[in-house]
Amino acid sequence: MTDSSTAVLSLDDFVSLVRDEIGLEIEPEQVAVDFDELPDWDSLYLLKLVTALELATGRKVAVGKVLEARSLKEIHDVAVGG
Amino acid sequence: MTTPTAHIASIGTALPGDPVDNAALAKVLGVNEEWIEVFIGTKTRHFARDLGTGTVRWSLADLCAQAAQKALAAPAVDPAAIEFIVLGTATPDTLMPATVNQVADQLGLDQVPTFQLQSGCAGAIQALSVGQTMIASGQYRTGLVIGGDVCSKHLDVQRDLSDAAPSDLVNFVLFGDGAGAAVLTAEPAGERVALRHVLNRFTGLGSKPGQVIEWFGLADRYDDRQALTEDYKAIEERVPVMAVEILWELLGELDWEADELDYLLPPQLSGRMTRRITEELGVPTAEEISCVADTGNNGNALPFLQIEKLLGRMGDGHKALAVAVESSKWIKAGFALEKI
Repeated sequence: MTDSSTAVLSLDDFVSLVRDEIGLEIEPEQVAVDFDELPDWDSLYLLKLVTALELATGRKVAVGKVLEARSLKEIHDVAVGG
Repeated sequence: MTTPTAHIASIGTALPGDPVDNAALAKVLGVNEEWIEVFIGTKTRHFARDLGTGTVRWSLADLCAQAAQKALAAPAVDPAAIEFIVLGTATPDTLMPATVNQVADQLGLDQVPTFQLQSGCAGAIQALSVGQTMIASGQYRTGLVIGGDVCSKHLDVQRDLSDAAPSDLVNFVLFGDGAGAAVLTAEPAGERVALRHVLNRFTGLGSKPGQVIEWFGLADRYDDRQALTEDYKAIEERVPVMAVEILWELLGELDWEADELDYLLPPQLSGRMTRRITEELGVPTAEEISCVADTGNNGNALPFLQIEKLLGRMGDGHKALAVAVESSKWIKAGFALEKI
């Protein structure tokens, strides 16, 4: 993937992507909440999310770092440039 | 109360074809290779089905017969002495005849009682339990116990998985195919490993299944039901806890101390889950015997693959304990071995 193909993914766009791709009905204010406080969260969603994020941003996502994330916001940070 | 002793005289296993690595699997499934590597932690698996064409290369009966032939070829074993066959599987070739009878046919065995257990990850242990009970009854002295699965029955290489639910997709990165077999004897022979205790207990009263495999007939073959469903979240939460409970229950039944264990055979869910469970079992003095990172989760074959690896290491007086959990309807299973 080249730099010219990368795209910026805002936090709001990311929330929409989470809703569309994995069907998790989260509100923007829940994006920084720890996964333990998101009862509907399932670590298996990461499989879909990583693929969707790579398509949306045009960048490779560091899976190891995503697995360490404790909230959706931390995953967003990893995906967009952390 | 410990169960009466039977003995493992020999073991044989069969894995179909060459190992399939994560790069090859990721390409076919259209998923992220690094995700399989890091999240699942399994490096390779084997498939009876050709990953490129989808052609079936080996049936479950073929794999079980191959494994059994290896067990029966051991110097201390006389194939003519086999008095019963028990097979545990979640993925029989056909509902009738039971695959165990096709295996008997391939092995040239006749006029023996055969049993097939419809079972998931605890099936090999259930088969060992039935075999041990038959020997303990005094009616039988030598039997063949087999476990195997062909999970790739559901690996449709033509299917577009881009819209598959994660609970569906995860099955294809977790599972593999294979078979294993052991010859059980009343008296020590061959490998001279005593089966000291077998645990097999349903504990799922009122619990939602953690793993569902549907089967379809003519009337419902076009139903839109998901063929495989894995509740990974429930499995991630419950299996490590159950594994610790099984370990301590078995040690209590055997009157063994944890630090007496030379080897530990933990549940083989996936490379990553098995690492985590082994840490939680907390028996650092026992050497871990695992295979799932190389073989994939091939269900009923796993305990045999672990025992085969164990036998290469076990010395006289060595003790080993195996723990397994079947998350379908939450079955606790395990067994203890001692080389004599």
